Amino acid sequence: MTEAAEEKGADVAVARRRPWVRSVLRRLVVFAVTVLVASFLVFLLVALLPGDVARATLGLGASDDQVEALRSQWGLDRPLLLRYAEWLGGFLTGDLGQSYVTGESVSSQVAPRLAVTAWLVGLSTPLALIVALVTGVIAAVGRRRWWGAVISGVSHLGLAIPAFFAATLLVLVFAVALGWLPATGYEPLFAGRGVDLAGWASHLVLPVAAIVIVQGSLLARYVRSSFIDVLTEDYYRTARAVGWTRWRAVFRHGLRNAATSLATVVGLQLASLLVGVILVEQVFALPGLGSLLIRAVSGKDLLVVQGVVMVLVVAVLLINLIVDLAYLAIDPRLRRQGETA
Amino acid sequence: MKKFTVIAGSAMTALVLLAALVSFVWTPFDPSLVDSANRFAPLGWPHVLGTDAMGIDTASRLLVGARTVVFVGVVSVEGAAVVGIPLGLFAGMRHGWWGEAISRAGDILFALPALLLAILLAAAVGASVVTAMLAIAIATVPVFIRMARAATLTVMELDYIDAARVAGTSEPVIALRHVVPNIAPLIGVQAAVSFGMAILAEAGLSYLGLSASSSTPTWGRMMRDANLFTAPAQAVIPGCAIAFAVMGFNVLGDGLRDYLDPRLKEVR
Amino acid sequence: MTEVRPDIIDNPRRHSWAQRVVALVSGALLAVTLAGCSTDSATETPLKTLSVGATLEPDTLDLTTSDSAAIPQVLLYNVYETLVRLDGEGTIKPLLATGYDVSSDGLTYTFRLDRQAEFASGAPVDADAVVESIERMRQAPSATLRAQHEVVASVEAVDAATVEVELSRPSNMWLYNMTQKAGIVIDPAATDLATAPMGSGPFMVEDWLKGDRVVLEKNIHYWGTPGRFDEVDFRYIADPNAMVSALLSGDIDIISDLTSPDSLSQFSDASRFTIIDGTSNAEVVLGFNHSRPALQDLRVRQAICYAIDRAGLLDAVWGGKGVLIGSMVAPTDPWYEDLSQTYPYDPQRARDLLAEAGVSGLNLSLRVPTLPYATAGAQFIASQLSLVGINVTVEELDFSSRWLTEVFTNAEYDMTIVSHVEPRDITMFADPTYYWRYDNPTFAQLVASADEAPDQQRYVTLMEEAATMLADDAAADWLFNFPNLVVTKAGITGIPDNATTLSFDVTTIASRQ
Repeated sequence: MTEAAEEKGADVAVARRRPWVRSVLRRLVVFAVTVLVASFLVFLLVALLPGDVARATLGLGASDDQVEALRSQWGLDRPLLLRYAEWLGGFLTGDLGQSYVTGESVSSQVAPRLAVTAWLVGLSTPLALIVALVTGVIAAVGRRRWWGAVISGVSHLGLAIPAFFAATLLVLVFAVALGWLPATGYEPLFAGRGVDLAGWASHLVLPVAAIVIVQGSLLARYVRSSFIDVLTEDYYRTARAVGWTRWRAVFRHGLRNAATSLATVVGLQLASLLVGVILVEQVFALPGLGSLLIRAVSGKDLLVVQGVVMVLVVAVLLINLIVDLAYLAIDPRLRRQGETA
Repeated sequence: MKKFTVIAGSAMTALVLLAALVSFVWTPFDPSLVDSANRFAPLGWPHVLGTDAMGIDTASRLLVGARTVVFVGVVSVEGAAVVGIPLGLFAGMRHGWWGEAISRAGDILFALPALLLAILLAAAVGASVVTAMLAIAIATVPVFIRMARAATLTVMELDYIDAARVAGTSEPVIALRHVVPNIAPLIGVQAAVSFGMAILAEAGLSYLGLSASSSTPTWGRMMRDANLFTAPAQAVIPGCAIAFAVMGFNVLGDGLRDYLDPRLKEVR
Repeated sequence: MTEVRPDIIDNPRRHSWAQRVVALVSGALLAVTLAGCSTDSATETPLKTLSVGATLEPDTLDLTTSDSAAIPQVLLYNVYETLVRLDGEGTIKPLLATGYDVSSDGLTYTFRLDRQAEFASGAPVDADAVVESIERMRQAPSATLRAQHEVVASVEAVDAATVEVELSRPSNMWLYNMTQKAGIVIDPAATDLATAPMGSGPFMVEDWLKGDRVVLEKNIHYWGTPGRFDEVDFRYIADPNAMVSALLSGDIDIISDLTSPDSLSQFSDASRFTIIDGTSNAEVVLGFNHSRPALQDLRVRQAICYAIDRAGLLDAVWGGKGVLIGSMVAPTDPWYEDLSQTYPYDPQRARDLLAEAGVSGLNLSLRVPTLPYATAGAQFIASQLSLVGINVTVEELDFSSRWLTEVFTNAEYDMTIVSHVEPRDITMFADPTYYWRYDNPTFAQLVASADEAPDQQRYVTLMEEAATMLADDAAADWLFNFPNLVVTKAGITGIPDNATTLSFDVTTIASRQ
């Protein structure tokens, strides 16, 4: 806001160029600060959890000396801030430390599972957008017809169904009853012996579909309402009045309008998308970050919990940054204003 | 049409509330009584919705499960609203450093989904309905901050706010007298939608075993414990109950939004 | 697109070309290129890859550090071999050793090694390797393994093919344990047992995709009869519903441990599936913490046993599959007797006993691992104990660390439920530091003299006495003995009915698909 105020009297040409760069820089700085604060919060949350990791590992029979020895071996006796700095430094260089429980490198556990989760998110987000755009536009245009109402109702239903329920139903129908697709498991795309596209894709179809049903329904609601907005605008009526077809008018004016609000919503919904992914991983027994996290929590493998949560949080922030930047590119008004609500 | 959605949404949510209330005074059977002679009873009489693998009456568990739905929804949404709305108001009215800090803090919280928070809490103190509820409440706070801030920003553009400022009215008074009444309908809409989200989140946590234990009937837990193949109804019934409750709140939220948004009046 | 994994081409498990295309259209908008990549399957050829579904994934593959049953399940007899092993009738058969002699005082065992035997690395299984393995076990981090070798006084290599083990006292259990994981011979070249176990079996650990599966590859240099599969995958699927759908949809070929017996009806079509319903070594124990004052009173423990309808519990928890036992003895053990009627279901008797003990409004915690039988059993028991006036607080803990730390290691519990899968584990009740904290010197003495018994008959008689003593003392409530429920696709043979070891032995499995 302050920026917009500063720029009110600025020269128009400069205001067009400079604020654009400034807006981008500003977002990058905010991103970095946010990551820093978030990392500290995650670190603190785990560090301040009740219970002594060292004592828990050694059991009640252990003497205080043994517990102290293990604590110093793990570096837990050093100041909190120092440990934080080291952990953050490790995080930035891709080293998340060694698990207290299994003694394994956390990064080596996270890396292969990150791929599974990334594929799920990366494939389902664009698909959900496509599904949302198609159904949302149809629902908006046909909002006073029976077919529009039906589509709107279906999206309401999709929005209300828990992701794991949708996933379960998909397994029952496509894997068990019809036997078309595998019900569980994952095949890496790049296996030792080459590229296994068929195995990889067939294992991802149902999980991705389950996420798309839920996320697509949610996004469709936003597409519908933003297109309804367009249908009531003057320029739409003008376009119709000068003889454009309804669909042409809708798409010419509606897409841009919908795109900005969709970009925001996709960013906002990332957190809920991740939740959906974790649940879906569980139903399909996929070796992703979600299943690692659940296993680590129940095993009190705190460094793994910390590492996975941090990776997920940074992913959400990073995608939000990208959405923000995309937003700037889509909506020229923002380049001038610098900041919006 | 608008009225219809509001009525339908209200009716659906009222039914969930009613089920929760009724469960305190009456359930067809004791919801924790195992009966190994009556396992997987089909839908019919006396077990209207059948029984589960332990022979426990599903209808009774469903009714008691509605309590958790209402309880989790009310506590987490109320909690989030009480914390989030004042912060959002403040952030929307103060343009300076503080406002920015609050909304950024909200963004950070937003990046921590309810599920991750619940997982952290479960790791710390053990999973229960309370940890699940707390996590959902914390995760819902930024939603209210964002909504309240955005709404406040819009209201602050209005002429009479300037008028009030010029007249020397203090900020808190402006907030209470002019801003809050203006954004109240939006808060109602957001609360309804968040309620639905909270139900879904709790169901997900129950399904992962991060909320109630088997002995506390919740709808998500019932789905987790159900045998999909032998008695699919035992998974489908609570699944539909979750969908019904969430849909009720969403439809109510949508209906309220349409009802309160003057711009849409001419459309429908 | 040109590179295709060979097993996709001729693997009948995979889905056919046509199926994929249909799935593609109906599923999502994923790469249409699939069709160009897949080839028709030839359903007549035998399976080259066997995919075995298992419930619990190990945390590590090093069985010298962890007692997790998930490790021997995948490694014992498949990757690691023992000197001798038991056959289905309980007689000792040669494996790495062609035979053995026992001295008349029962103290000296001489094993003669098979000179053909080789590790997968190519090194010979010689006396030095055997000595090193036994020494490794004697100093293993696992307390169980150390205890099993406690009677060993010394081990030495007489010559390259002869190993002599000196015991400090005669022990019937020791020879038995040598047929199980305590007797495996590890390749001395192995450096990282946790991820790269090295043995002499017909399979080698090729890869471990954490959270998903352990991949075993055929050991082409195997010294005995080679394995029938090029690859065996142990796929880890914790969710019982997911496990059932995995077999129904053909993702896996075998469910090695079906944890949802209610789902058996799904596999009733004999032309598609084979069900194996035998017994196992796994006793499901409602354990009492004997260091808690309330549970030190025999009448309270007996009251709990009377209050629980175990037949009903077996129906509710495990679909009525399994055997009611009444003591810590599996039906396949030589000293098995049906003691399940020691405390028949009698809630009134339970109330009377509690009143007699002067106990009212008893509050007990029931801290169980999050495993299906334990959580369901806990719910059942809480419901039944509430009927006799005992208030039970159920808490669910994850098995791999929380339960193991808090309940098993630290004994922070009143009651718990867990299945004891180790064979012949009745001796654990003789250890007062074990998590039950059961301290009964008479019982410990009985078990010790049984172990030293000079002949099998005396051994069995004394063990029968020990089992009865435990049951009478209500040292625990033995809820039931797990069935060995294995479901395979039709055409898979060679799996024994009863599981008498922790191993899921794939070396005898054949497929005629």
